[in-house]
Amino acid sequence: MKKNLFYEFTKGLWNESPTFRQLLGMCPTLAVTTSVINGFSMGMATSFVLICSSTIISFIRKLIPNQVRIASYIVIIAAFVTVADLFLKGNFPAVSKALGPFIPLIVVNCVILGRAEAFAAKNNPLLSFADALGMGLGFTLALTMLGTIREILGSGTIFGFLTFEPWVVMILPGGAFITLGLLIGLINFLKQKANKPEVHAACEVK
Amino acid sequence: MSYLISHAPHIREQRTVPDLMKAVMLALLPATIAGVIFFGLQALALIIVCTLTAVITEIVCLKLMKSTVPVNGGGAAITGLLLALCLPPSFPVIFAIIGSIFAIVIGKQLFGGLGYNIFNPALVGRAFLAAAFPVHMTTWVMPFAYRGVEAISSATPLAAMKFSQQSTSSLSLLFGNVGGCIGETSALLLLLGGIYLLWKKVINWQIPVSYLGTVAVFGGVFWLVNPAQFPSPIFQLLAGGLMLGAWFMLTDLVTSPITKKGLWIFGVGAGLLVVIIRLFSGLPEGVMYSILIMNAVVPLINRYTRPRILGQKK
Amino acid sequence: MNKLVRMIVVLTVIGLISGGILALVYNLSLPKIIANQEAETKAAIFKVLPETKSYKKIISGDLAYFDCFADNGEKIGTAILCQGNGYQGVIKLLVGVNADFSRFTGMTVLEQLETPGLGAKIATQDFESQFKQLATKPPIEYVKNMKPEKDNQIEAITGATISSRAVVNIINKTVEKLLELK
Repeated sequence: MKKNLFYEFTKGLWNESPTFRQLLGMCPTLAVTTSVINGFSMGMATSFVLICSSTIISFIRKLIPNQVRIASYIVIIAAFVTVADLFLKGNFPAVSKALGPFIPLIVVNCVILGRAEAFAAKNNPLLSFADALGMGLGFTLALTMLGTIREILGSGTIFGFLTFEPWVVMILPGGAFITLGLLIGLINFLKQKANKPEVHAACEVK
Repeated sequence: MSYLISHAPHIREQRTVPDLMKAVMLALLPATIAGVIFFGLQALALIIVCTLTAVITEIVCLKLMKSTVPVNGGGAAITGLLLALCLPPSFPVIFAIIGSIFAIVIGKQLFGGLGYNIFNPALVGRAFLAAAFPVHMTTWVMPFAYRGVEAISSATPLAAMKFSQQSTSSLSLLFGNVGGCIGETSALLLLLGGIYLLWKKVINWQIPVSYLGTVAVFGGVFWLVNPAQFPSPIFQLLAGGLMLGAWFMLTDLVTSPITKKGLWIFGVGAGLLVVIIRLFSGLPEGVMYSILIMNAVVPLINRYTRPRILGQKK
Repeated sequence: MNKLVRMIVVLTVIGLISGGILALVYNLSLPKIIANQEAETKAAIFKVLPETKSYKKIISGDLAYFDCFADNGEKIGTAILCQGNGYQGVIKLLVGVNADFSRFTGMTVLEQLETPGLGAKIATQDFESQFKQLATKPPIEYVKNMKPEKDNQIEAITGATISSRAVVNIINKTVEKLLELK
């Protein structure tokens, strides 16, 4: 296993992107990405929780008995989620209102518990920090992308300019699934083309 | 031809897929012409644009995917035509193009193309348009409005029933002198097309019979209980897109079950859904969703109605 | 046994530390949160009764409303919190009525979950402003595809009759209850 800081950081951005490659954390991905700002805020809030909890869990990973590790992780994660929730409510009431119950629901976002269990529990704090930062940014990037596409098509606005009659479906749940599905398809397609051209033939056989 | 997949031995069918498609096109012709007469040039433009876009999209898709399937525009043309027939006559042409592309790309080709689509592609396109442009999809004009100075907007018979408790005479519904989608206003012409398809054995009789029968019986029960609140079964049968759905969409060979028992379950299930949606939901019409929902359960129906293998115990 | 004690100790310590941090953050952000909520209420009341300088919240039964006062302390009207079921979820509204309860002074949607692009248009300026200067009696009615003719009518949003009707019903019900109370 490569214990390379730069590698751990960059893998979350693209190669192991939590949204597009691991398909984790689908609930907020589909629910809140109705606009760029919502997607971005959700990504940042999740990143904050992810980075803090991963680093702390990595620090105390040797103190936590194996049997109660999940309980401990969840308590730590829940604490940071509540901090994020209160912070948003106090300082960004509009964002908090738009994201609604999905901020408290970061607790059950599988990206966070997944990284705690799969990475932070086995690696040193510095590596865990890099990993969490990469994953968090990858998640934010993905949500912002979805938010951008859905805002442009669904609200007909690009940074406030009304350009055409919007397709309402894109800001409804259906639009989230369509956009996510097409994006994942596109990324798989690009990957296939870049890496293994011979896979292409095998794929056509359904 | 009852298109049932069962055990060997199979009889070889002489007719090819393009033959079937030609028959469907022919059956749709009366309703299409009536739509143009009722709603004028705008309807004609929608029909032509939808059909053309669907065919072009299909060809481009197959070329892009380097498909080995022979390019045949027939299926796509039917999809495009059906989509146009279930659009409101005043629907903007540019959005109809989007819907047509969506129907072929997402509804058909992404699932694997001809024969692999789970949902009726035309209805996938329509569902997308209904969700994307809800205002345009619920703006209706009266037939022959194009002769007047300005388009008179009107409610469909079903919407009038649902929101204002106004009934429409069966005669108008039969001949199509009502507001509605381009191809769904005249129940009589659609029935004519359907019977032609039955005669040519392109569709299974079980589906339309069970579908229409369920709507009549189940809708009739409510009518008998409370005639003041619920519409009569005759109205239920003639209004809205039921005829179009029953003969041309629910019967799509690709998206309907393959066993005889399954066909009955399929038709009855869709019929129940239509009545429930029409009477108890926020929507006036439920044909589109009834068909799409039943399309989704076709694999399950096929699994549970699989005929027992000869000699095997239950 | 040793293992069990360690499990309990570790979990307790983690819980205590988390709880402590939360208490701290909560106390720090509480004043801001309260201030935000108040600013929101104030803005909403100002929208339906623009001349309001001060207001007093009154709760009686299941009704909640604000008596609003002008600069000179004179009562200029009441802002009433209304809520009820819309097409998809609960709609919360604030309506203003003038001092003698004869006319509405405005309406604003506080919360709604209606379909974007359709029912959600109840929260637009175009729809809300229709309630300005509407008569409170007889109850509000909605008309479709035409301009309102009487002074207790509003025009329903095209394609969103259910949401428009819900708003009208919610307001009528609440105002009726309040009139009985007075």
